[in-house]
Amino acid sequence: MVDLEFERRLERDFALAASFPDDVAFCRSIDARLNQDWVLRRWLIGAAGVTGGVIGASQLLMNNFVHRVEALSQGSSKVLEAGFSQLRPGVTLLGLVSSDVLVAWVAAGLAVVAIGFVLTRVIEEI
Amino acid sequence: MSGLQSLASHHDVDLANLAAAGDRRAFGELVRRHAAGVRSLLRRMGAAPSEADDVAQDTFLTAFESVSEFRGEGAFAGWVKKIAARLYIRRIRREKRLALLAAESAADEAPIKLTDAVTRMALDEALIQLPPGERMAVTLCYGAGMSHSEAADVLNLPLGTVKSHVKRGLEKLKVRMTTPETNAPSGRLAHG
Repeated sequence: MVDLEFERRLERDFALAASFPDDVAFCRSIDARLNQDWVLRRWLIGAAGVTGGVIGASQLLMNNFVHRVEALSQGSSKVLEAGFSQLRPGVTLLGLVSSDVLVAWVAAGLAVVAIGFVLTRVIEEI
Repeated sequence: MSGLQSLASHHDVDLANLAAAGDRRAFGELVRRHAAGVRSLLRRMGAAPSEADDVAQDTFLTAFESVSEFRGEGAFAGWVKKIAARLYIRRIRREKRLALLAAESAADEAPIKLTDAVTRMALDEALIQLPPGERMAVTLCYGAGMSHSEAADVLNLPLGTVKSHVKRGLEKLKVRMTTPETNAPSGRLAHG
């Protein structure tokens, strides 16, 4: 029969942990692995963000998103245009900005944002 | 440096909360506090030193990933030791070494009498002499703080088998570790 006192002693003995000669090196190796995983994860997230941005921008260009939006809002544009024409005859509002130029500006804006994210990440890593 | 000093004065639960918020320095302090305990436990479970260190590393990486699940209801040491025990058992199961533990301890083993214990043996020396199943069961229950049913679940053994492993293991340990006339320190872990 094992008595309670011995069980308590056993628990105390198990709780005692000898120090190892390479304790410091062992802890450093875990720190290094944690840092390595963290850096890798951040780069993966950053790369995924940039990839997503590039894909989004290219999809925007390929699908001619602005044209579709224009087609959908054609009715309201005509109303607006008519209103402005009444105010300033001879000037068409939508004629001021070409849709191709607008798409290029949106894509350029997204690219600038993506580059900004990349630069921020690089500076953080440095 | 002052940052490290201030972390050293924190309670484990506070450090775990900081780590859950992404503070890796706080988690580093937890590693410094509990690494030796985890490594000792794994060696006591029967892992070779290099294997114990591999599993201990995986343990702390796993603990960092799931530190937000630590609610501070028990000791951090117990929580991380249970992770270590589960990882080690998963590893030996994968390597098909777990079957050894299911075997009943050798029936033909000569019973140990109190008079056989010439000197009081340290825990680690006594553990080494136990059959693998008894050693594992005793270490899970008294070292990793698992209940019998938790140990049975982890080991995938019937509860009765685990209970008998623990009972027999404790009896042998008691005989080997108890000699009234000596006062040698116990619980020392031989590391090589």
